[in-house]
Amino acid sequence: MGGSILVENAVKTFKGNVHAVKGISLEVKEGEFFAFLGPNGAGKSTTVQLLTTLLKPTSGRMEVAGIDVNKEPEKVRLEIGVALQETGIDPDLKGIELLEFQARLFGFSKKAARSRAEELLELVGLTEDANRLSGKYSGGMRRRLDLAMTLVHQPKILFLDEPTTGLDPSNRKSIWKEIKRLNKEEGTTIFLTTQYLEEADQLADRISIINKGEIVATGTPEELKRTLGFDAIVLEFDSEEQSTRAQELIGTMDLQAERLKNEVTIYAENGTAIVADVIRRLDEHQLQPDRLNVQPPSLDDVFIQVTNEQKKEASTNG
Amino acid sequence: MADQKGSLVSDTLVMTKRSLVTTLRNPLIFVPNLAISMFFLFVYEAGLSGIADLPAFEGANYLAFILPVSIVSAAIGGAGGAGQALVKDLDNGFFSRLLITPASRLAIVLGPIIAGMMQLVVQAGLIIAVGFFLGLEVAGGALGVLVVLLLTLGWGLAFAGYSVGVALRAKNAQSAQAGTFIFFPLIFLSTTFVPYELIEAQWLKVAATINPVTYLFEAMRTVLIDGFSEPWPIILGFIVIAVLCVIMITFSTLSAKRAVSTD
Repeated sequence: MGGSILVENAVKTFKGNVHAVKGISLEVKEGEFFAFLGPNGAGKSTTVQLLTTLLKPTSGRMEVAGIDVNKEPEKVRLEIGVALQETGIDPDLKGIELLEFQARLFGFSKKAARSRAEELLELVGLTEDANRLSGKYSGGMRRRLDLAMTLVHQPKILFLDEPTTGLDPSNRKSIWKEIKRLNKEEGTTIFLTTQYLEEADQLADRISIINKGEIVATGTPEELKRTLGFDAIVLEFDSEEQSTRAQELIGTMDLQAERLKNEVTIYAENGTAIVADVIRRLDEHQLQPDRLNVQPPSLDDVFIQVTNEQKKEASTNG
Repeated sequence: MADQKGSLVSDTLVMTKRSLVTTLRNPLIFVPNLAISMFFLFVYEAGLSGIADLPAFEGANYLAFILPVSIVSAAIGGAGGAGQALVKDLDNGFFSRLLITPASRLAIVLGPIIAGMMQLVVQAGLIIAVGFFLGLEVAGGALGVLVVLLLTLGWGLAFAGYSVGVALRAKNAQSAQAGTFIFFPLIFLSTTFVPYELIEAQWLKVAATINPVTYLFEAMRTVLIDGFSEPWPIILGFIVIAVLCVIMITFSTLSAKRAVSTD
């Protein structure tokens, strides 16, 4: 349909057998705000490049705005706006020139290109800097200009590859506000990649978590927290020696525990129910935590958990 | 208003204008190019003009003989700059942005190619002006000068096309620079300093015969020295340059498509 995305078993293998994307499938509905969440090198950017005609998949089927990306990349380019991780700005052109240039390539007349450029500069708050060389812009201004360039032709679908990485909080907020507005008011479908859980949690209707080229979980933020986000029991000890022993001990209880310095975090479905057992067992071995805290699931926990599970699988398989 | 794409012609114009603006805003890159090609003309004329007394030159003016070498070699800076500009676009991510627009791949490569060609034609104009200052006489007259500029235009498109294609495959400044080294055999394995009859080494004769630049030299020299009484070398020159243009622009367009499909 108009603003939808469909991916079936997309695989991208680079030269030298690097499997960047190992058979992912996903569906984004028209008007949906979708976040693709994953750590660095997970395959997020590769997926965006596949969907935006910048890369050809090794295999698999992809439809963007109802158009087969492999068969008719030219048509896809008319429907999408793309802000890549690296901004695409010619530093030798002024802000307004870049926007006019972009508009002309989308078939705007000279006059229409000019007024569209002015409109967009206003929108992203760069009117005063319109006639300065974009090479002299700050990082945040460049991001905003880049976003404005992707909006020139009022695309049905926006692909944003880590649009806020490297931005300070105020610039991040202003980008968030704008893409939220595009999604809510103009019904633009958003495909956003991010490393920040907070970003996905705040903005997205639905999230897929990708790690090492595979989608490991998909759902609304709440669903993910419910189905995967176990309670987190955080125990803080006096020393690393104690926390290490505690982790080993908890391991023998068939529980999943992560250790970071003096802190041990146990992930369990029913945190409050097992906490007594854990404390008793630790006490038998003269281990008393200084502090204990049971937290309801957060998206952070989901993220750590699914990426860890994958790590474990890899080590048992390999 | 939206959901449209520009025509090939309008895309090409928009792309070319942008390349020209970018070039003009970096005078430190194009001014030395202009200077160096005129410098070569001075040096060749000053150092080598004595050999024009040899009978094979049939009394021709050495300045007219060496002028085409100066023009052709100017391409490495002028038209070759197209490749450098493209590497810059690749580096700052602008090229990826271009690839996601509906603009045709041909228009995307033609922008820098035409801008590079125009730079070379300006260089050639200056070289000819300096030539007149040094005492150049053109047998073909004003029309002759125009023909030389037209041949330069073709050579500029071909060389810029080559440099853009190489830049797209190399994807970094060093390799793109290395790619322009093809220029050296092209310019020196030819009738660069003396006419064909005076070349002694058989291998160099063979090289000069298959080198397209030889036909460019011959066409320009014919116009400059003999005028239009002997049209065949001029026609041959245009044919060779036209074929070269088609090959090089196709090469660069295919390279732009390839820049997308592999890694």
